[in-house]
Amino acid sequence: MMKRLTLPLAALALTLPGVALAQATDTSTKTVGIVGTVPQMCFAGTLTGSGSFDLGILIDTTTGQLRNDLSAPAQMLVGSFCSSRSTITVSATPLVAQDFTAAAPNGFSRSVDYTATASGWTTTPASFTTSAASNPAAIQTRPTAFTGDIAVAISGFATTGGSSLRLVADEDYRGLVTVTIAAVN
Amino acid sequence: MRSLTLFTVATLAFAGQALAQTPPTSATTDLPVTGRVPQTCALQPGKIQPGGLNNIAGLDGDTLRIIQFTDPATLAVRAASASINFEAVCNFPHAVRIESQNNGLWPVDERITDRPAGFAFAVPYSADISWGQLSGHFETNAKVGALSQQLYFVDNAVAGNFNLRIAIDEGASNVETRAPLVAGTYVDTVRIFLEPR
Repeated sequence: MMKRLTLPLAALALTLPGVALAQATDTSTKTVGIVGTVPQMCFAGTLTGSGSFDLGILIDTTTGQLRNDLSAPAQMLVGSFCSSRSTITVSATPLVAQDFTAAAPNGFSRSVDYTATASGWTTTPASFTTSAASNPAAIQTRPTAFTGDIAVAISGFATTGGSSLRLVADEDYRGLVTVTIAAVN
Repeated sequence: MRSLTLFTVATLAFAGQALAQTPPTSATTDLPVTGRVPQTCALQPGKIQPGGLNNIAGLDGDTLRIIQFTDPATLAVRAASASINFEAVCNFPHAVRIESQNNGLWPVDERITDRPAGFAFAVPYSADISWGQLSGHFETNAKVGALSQQLYFVDNAVAGNFNLRIAIDEGASNVETRAPLVAGTYVDTVRIFLEPR
């Protein structure tokens, strides 16, 4: 887009002095305003790695309770940018059993809570805890245009309903982390 | 003027392109989170339920040792019982299988072949289990020294205490009640399985 703008402006610059010379005998000055606009825009960046968090087996099979060493590598959004002041927002949904859809029996849960964090865009990372009633830290504002990498991580896993509960068997537990960067005025 | 006119036209043309290709003012990335919970059953080591012993010394590893197996005056079997709790979990609909290796308490010394008339040579007992909403009763009869077992189906996941109560009745015998028991050491092995149906 920048390249196409350059051509007509260059043509103007060459042509206008010629017109002035041909039509005037004395010095005459014309002012031509040149305006360019850079719109507000954001690009989420390019995902490196798998683009998902695969936690594998969620439980300690000797107790049936949630593993206390769950982890997954952070996912990187490389080359993200916003051309103006911006916000970054992170939201997440709990890991929920997809096939076991009935209410969990007594002593069991079918859901795992966690905290999702997006770092690198703002001084304070945006974070969202799926068990929290509200998540004021989920949206953070950056006052200036920025380009850089965003690291998205998940941590702080906990069985929904309490740590004494076991998780029902299900081969498909799923949740979702969503990261949004948006230009703001 | 012509050049200017062209410029104006060009401006309009760019404005049209700008409208058609409005740059995104926000960008969103979704990252799925996945995991799985395999079908799992687990039984922790047993613990004697408080107040759950009668004529049994306690749990020695995985062994229940009876204090006084027979009445010294009559040699008839004395009552004994033990109630054991196992912390357990099965996170899916499953089965409970209880198994007696000998179908009763039988002499460990196989050289005991002398079975005088009127004497008992094996001792029956019963086992009661309580697991979630399941209550089961299993009896050995000590008539034949062979594996016996019973199977129960449980329709949902259960977590908590698996309770096993083993009881020998007063005077239990594989012949007549209160028959004296042939001398020896009597044993059996009870196995509990939490397993897929």
